[in-house]
Amino acid sequence: MHLALNEDQTQILDFIDSLTRPYATVPLHDTSFALTSDALDAELVEGGFLDVMAVEELGPVTAALVVERLARLPFAVEAAASSLVRPLIDPALPRPLCLVEEGQLRRPVRFLRPGATVVVVSKSGVRSFTAGQAQVRAAGDEVLYAYPVAYLTEVPGDARVHDVAADEILRAWRVALAAEAAGLLGAALQSVTTYVSERQQFGRPIATFQAIRHRLAEDQVATNGVYWMALRAAGSGDAGDAALAALHAQEAAKRVGYDYHQFLGAMGMTLEHPLHLWTYRLKFLTGELGGRGENALAAAAAIWG
Amino acid sequence: MDFEWTEEQQAFRAKLHAFLEAELPDDWEAFSKHGPASPALTEFARHFCRKLAENGMLFPHWPKEIGGEGLGPWEQQILAEVMWEWGEPRGGQYMNVNWIGPTMVRYGTEAQKAKYLPQIAKGEMLWCQGFSEPNSGSDLASLRTRAELEGDAYRVNGQKIWTSYAGLADTCFLLTRTSDDRKRGITILLVPMDTPGITVRQIPSLIGEGDIHEVFFDDVIVPATQRFGEEGQAWEIISYSLQNERLGIPRYHLARKALDRAVGILKESGDFARESVRIEAARCAALCEAARTAIYAIVQKRVDGLPVGGESSSARFATVQAERAVSEFVVEYVPEALAGGSDYLQMHHQRGIVAGIASGAAEIQLNIIAGDVLQLPREPR
Ligand SMILES: Cc1cc2nc3c(=O)[nH]c(=O)nc-3n(C[C@H](O)[C@H](O)[C@H](O)COP(=O)(O)OP(=O)(O)OC[C@H]3O[C@@H](n4cnc5c(N)ncnc54)[C@H](O)[C@@H]3O)c2cc1C
Repeated sequence: MHLALNEDQTQILDFIDSLTRPYATVPLHDTSFALTSDALDAELVEGGFLDVMAVEELGPVTAALVVERLARLPFAVEAAASSLVRPLIDPALPRPLCLVEEGQLRRPVRFLRPGATVVVVSKSGVRSFTAGQAQVRAAGDEVLYAYPVAYLTEVPGDARVHDVAADEILRAWRVALAAEAAGLLGAALQSVTTYVSERQQFGRPIATFQAIRHRLAEDQVATNGVYWMALRAAGSGDAGDAALAALHAQEAAKRVGYDYHQFLGAMGMTLEHPLHLWTYRLKFLTGELGGRGENALAAAAAIWG
Repeated sequence: MDFEWTEEQQAFRAKLHAFLEAELPDDWEAFSKHGPASPALTEFARHFCRKLAENGMLFPHWPKEIGGEGLGPWEQQILAEVMWEWGEPRGGQYMNVNWIGPTMVRYGTEAQKAKYLPQIAKGEMLWCQGFSEPNSGSDLASLRTRAELEGDAYRVNGQKIWTSYAGLADTCFLLTRTSDDRKRGITILLVPMDTPGITVRQIPSLIGEGDIHEVFFDDVIVPATQRFGEEGQAWEIISYSLQNERLGIPRYHLARKALDRAVGILKESGDFARESVRIEAARCAALCEAARTAIYAIVQKRVDGLPVGGESSSARFATVQAERAVSEFVVEYVPEALAGGSDYLQMHHQRGIVAGIASGAAEIQLNIIAGDVLQLPREPR
C-alpha cells in the first residue's frame, strides 16, 4: 500500500494547474448556467491529459486524479468518460464521449451534440455511434444543469458493436462518475468555506456557529470519502469498489446540494456566485446509472452476490 | 379528532379549483413556470386578482367590514393550498391577502386605510417587502438603511436586497433605521416605487429571471404621512404581521402534487417498477404528509385562538424537509424536469429550493425550536 502521489502524478497535476490557471475563475459578469470553453478543451487534448490511462506508468489512478482535478474548474469539461471509459472501448473514439443507458432516452445527456460519440450500454453489450443532427434534440434555453445537455432521439440500428463486456463499462462509468464528483465536491466545499468565513451575521462570521461548523465538517468527511473511494476503485478495477464509490458520491452530492445552498443563504440562489456551477453538476450526477438505489444494489450484488 | 374536511370545506376547495380551471389560460403551466414573482405572472396577477376579488375569492377569510366573507383559518389554508398548487396565480398579491391587509387594518392611519385598503381589496395593488439588506439577512435587526426626518418628510439612503417583485411593485413596505436602538430604532415607511432616487436592479438567479432584486435608495424623499405606525414601532408591527404569515406558503402541498406528477412520469416510462424508486417516492410522501399534519395542527390552534409560538417553526422546518426530499427525488429520477421536460416540475424545483432560505433560514427555525419548543438553555454569549 502506498497512498501518496508518485512523481509522475505530482508533475501531471502541476501541469494541469498551470495550464488551467486562466480558467480557474469565473469570467466577470458571466452568469450562465453551463460554462464551457473550447480553448480549454483543445489545450487539454493537445497536452494528452485525457489519454493518461493508456500510458503504462500512469494508468487509471492517474486518469482519475486528472478527472478529479479538472472537475474542480468552474468550466465543465468532458473528461471523465473520455479518460476513464473510452480507453476500454476504443481510444480513438472522437470526443466528447456521451454515456447512455439503453432504454433511458427520456434522460438528458451531458455534452451531447452532433458529432459527439454516443456509447450505449445495455445488459447485452456496448455499441457506439457518432451523433448526427437528427439524433440530437436541443433541451431548450432554460436548462437548470451546469452541463451542456441535449436529448438523444434514437439509437441507430447500425451502431457499431464493441467487443467489451457491458459490466466492465458500467464499472468504469461508476469510477468516472465518482472521480468527477470528488472534484466537484472539493471545489464546492472550498467555495463555501470561504463564504461562511467571510459572511458576518449577528456580529460574527457565520462559520463560528456550531450549527454550520458541524454540518460543514460532515461534508468534508463525505468529500474526503468520495475522493479516496474513487481513486481506490480506479486502481483496483473491482466492480464492488466502483459501485460503492458511485453510491457514496451520489449520497454526498445530495447532502451538499442542500447544505451548501443553505449556508450561502439567498446569495446561493444567484448566478453571480459560482456555487451552482458545482452543485448543479452534482445534482445531475445523482441520477446517473439509476441513482443511489441502483448503485447500492449493484454494490451489494458485487460484494455479497 | 376528525381528519376529514367538512362538506362546506370540500365544496369551497372544489369551487376554487373549478374557478381556476375555467379562468386560467390554456397554456397556464408553461406561462406560470417561472413562479409568482416572474414579471409575466406579476402582470397577469393584476388582472386576475381583480377577477378573484369580484368573485369573493381574494380574501374570503377577511372580516366582512373590510370586504371579506368572514371565513376561518381552515378556509384560508385551503385557499392558499389551491392557489399555490396552481402556481400562485395571485402573484405577489398573496402577501396582501396574508399579512399586508390585516396589518394595515390594525396599524394604518385612517388616511392610509382609506388610500390602500380599497386598492388591496380590489386586487389592484402590488407591494414589495424591503426588509433584507446586503449585511442584514438572518440578523434583520442590524439593518442600516437610514431615514432622517427633515421637516415633514424623511430622507432615505441605503440599500435593500433580495426584494421580490421590486421591479413591478407599486409600493414598498420598507424597514428603515431612524435611531441606533437595535430593534426600537426601526421604522416602517410606505414608499411609492416611482419616487425619484429609487433604482432597482434584477439579480440573475437560479430561480428564474426577474425574481429577486437589489433596490437602491439615494436621497429618496418620503412624506412623513407615509410612515406606518410610530417611529421605532416596526419590530412590534412585523412581529404582528408574522403571526398572520406564520404558516408561510403551503409548500408541502405543492411538493406532494409535484411528487405525484413525478411518479406519473415514472409510471409511464416503466421506471416506477424499480423498488429503489418506489421506496424513495414513499419516503418523500411521508415527509410531505408529516409537514401537512404539523401545519394543520397549527391551523387548529389559530381556529381556537391559542398562541402558536415556536411550533410554527417546527412545522415550517418539516415543510423544508418535504421540499428538499421532493426536489432531490425529481433530480435523481426525473432529471429531464430540469431540462425542458416538465414545466410543472421545473416550477416546483425553482420554488422548492428557496424553502429553507426565503422568509427565515431553516437554521434559524431550528434555533427557535430548540429555544421556544424544547426550552433548551441558550448558548452563553
Ligand atoms: C427567493 C427569495 C426571495 C426573497 N424575497 C425577499 C423579499 O421580498 N424581501 C426581503 O426583505 N427579503 C427577501 N428575501 C431574503 C430572505 O429573507 C433572506 O435570504 C433570509 O432572511 C436569510 O438571509 P441571508 O440570505 O442574508 O442569509 P444569512 O443570514 O447570511 O445566512 C446564511 C447561513 O447562515 C446561517 N445562520 C445565520 N445566522 C445563524 C445563527 N445564528 N445560527 C445558525 N446559523 C445561522 C443561516 O441559517 C444560513 O444557513 C428573499 C430570499 C429569497 C431566497
